[in-house]
Amino acid sequence: MKKTIPLLIVILGGLIWVAWAFSPHYVLQEVFYNQFYLPWVYAMSSFAMLLGVLSLSMMHSAKIKRKAPKWQYSYFFFASFVITCLAGFIGGTQKGGLFMWMFENVQMPMSATMFSLLAFYMASAAYKAFRARSPEATVLLIAAIVVMLAQVPLGMQISRHLPTFSQWILDVPNLASKRGIMLGVGLGSVATSLKILLGIERSYLGGGD
Amino acid sequence: MQKLDRRWIYIVVALAIIIPLMIPYDSDNVTTPPTENLYQMIDSFAGREDRAILMSFYHDAATMPELFPMEVAILRHAFERNVKVFTLTWMPAGAPIIEYAINTVKEEFPDIQSGVDYCNFGYKPQPFALVLGMGDNIANTMNTDAEGRKLENLPIMRGINNYSEMNLVVEFSGSVAGATWITYARPKYGLNVAVGVTAVMAADLYPYLQSGQLVGMLSGLKGAAEYEKLVDVFAAYRDPARDYSITHDEDGNRILPGRPFGREILEDESTRKLIRITTQTEAEFTLDQFAAFTAKHPEHIPLLNRLGEVREEKMVIDLDQVTPEIREEMGEALYQELYRLTGDTLYKFKVARIGMNAQSVAHIMIIVFIILGNIGYFIQKARAAKN
Repeated sequence: MKKTIPLLIVILGGLIWVAWAFSPHYVLQEVFYNQFYLPWVYAMSSFAMLLGVLSLSMMHSAKIKRKAPKWQYSYFFFASFVITCLAGFIGGTQKGGLFMWMFENVQMPMSATMFSLLAFYMASAAYKAFRARSPEATVLLIAAIVVMLAQVPLGMQISRHLPTFSQWILDVPNLASKRGIMLGVGLGSVATSLKILLGIERSYLGGGD
Repeated sequence: MQKLDRRWIYIVVALAIIIPLMIPYDSDNVTTPPTENLYQMIDSFAGREDRAILMSFYHDAATMPELFPMEVAILRHAFERNVKVFTLTWMPAGAPIIEYAINTVKEEFPDIQSGVDYCNFGYKPQPFALVLGMGDNIANTMNTDAEGRKLENLPIMRGINNYSEMNLVVEFSGSVAGATWITYARPKYGLNVAVGVTAVMAADLYPYLQSGQLVGMLSGLKGAAEYEKLVDVFAAYRDPARDYSITHDEDGNRILPGRPFGREILEDESTRKLIRITTQTEAEFTLDQFAAFTAKHPEHIPLLNRLGEVREEKMVIDLDQVTPEIREEMGEALYQELYRLTGDTLYKFKVARIGMNAQSVAHIMIIVFIILGNIGYFIQKARAAKN
């Protein structure tokens, strides 16, 4: 019973969505979707947000209580959470308020800095790991150099044909492999969905049989 | 060579990026079909009551260096050419980015109004439900904008019901989130979909581009730089001889500022001046253009003649010579018109192109690192074989 009821809920829910996707019937499109599903979605998302905040707060409180490694940083979470909330609730989120100021001058540069570190790791990896160890690696290396050069204005100045060659690499060998991966993933998703709908795949219920 | 401390690499990369950012130089970002197609599609909506674009900001601040210049460029294009714009985000962290992007562009367009020329839906949860809902009715699905106003009461909604009118969505993300629109909205409602993605994600979306499911794609900073260039060359272009205070022709049709896309214009030598990113202070006219320009401002003919200088059969007005007194004498409208004709671009509208200069140097550095790394590797291998 502990597994049968959840299984039935999943199968029923899945079948309703399959019917909704393939049938234009009024009951499915209007009554189920517009009148039932949409209002519930709005309600659920607010609770999901609350759940996220609670979960994050509990995790950081526990970290502080246990004095887990780097527990001091958890205070920064609470401080920034409270300050941002107060700034948003009291001053509003429009331009000119504290919230937008913090976004423009704190969050934006900090996040961008984290993202930009990628360039440094890439350069380091290019020097230390990108080796022409085999014919395949050499092809990959040459393709990478061509695409990198063609991406920047300098590439065009080196040769007018460079962007064309780069585009060919992206359009033909790159696309062939991408399509193969996407088709595989797509077929795998269909197979897994069918197995779930038919009750064959039950690992998502947790525990063993 | 193989044991080089990585901190040296970091220093070289930092310098390779910082120096070109601090000292911009003119370079040409050749536009590619995915960018041109998106530009042309948006431009085809110019001045139409029954057409609009939707910009979906599905990212947080981390990917802003690549995605924000795209968003600014498209908003600028839309505001220059009177294209209705709707914005939304599926992420709470995206809401301030929309505000920031709109405010950044709106500062230069004092006539643009919220609820009339653009409408921000703000943060909306559950993309799947809303992507489908908007296909039936946008006002019923979204209900209110970010300021809490009922959508059905807003002037921008005149002529806009669903995807038949809001016929193009541009999804900005650092993922393949654009595929959601392709899967759910395009087959069912015929919505045109385009994406602006970080460069690392572009390869994942190429299959959709080649199959025609994506009408266009801006990939990374390069895509943003290309779009900035197109806006400068076409949407922000002003013919010195034309009077832009006349907004309707004799038949009552609306005349829009800017000019339509044309490949031959991109390849024309005169376009070079429009795409420079270094500071420009000189407005250049042919003698005919100057005559037509002065005819638009008869009260300022002596002043314009005084400021003008003939160089190689061209009339040149250098705005550096315009003192505050002269500026006051000519009036702000004429000054702004002359400023626009210099081809100078505000920093916020050329960020991606300045970034591309830095990226050029960084790419070269990375290629040099790859080559040096491989030279070291083969020397080491040869030594090991010898021993």
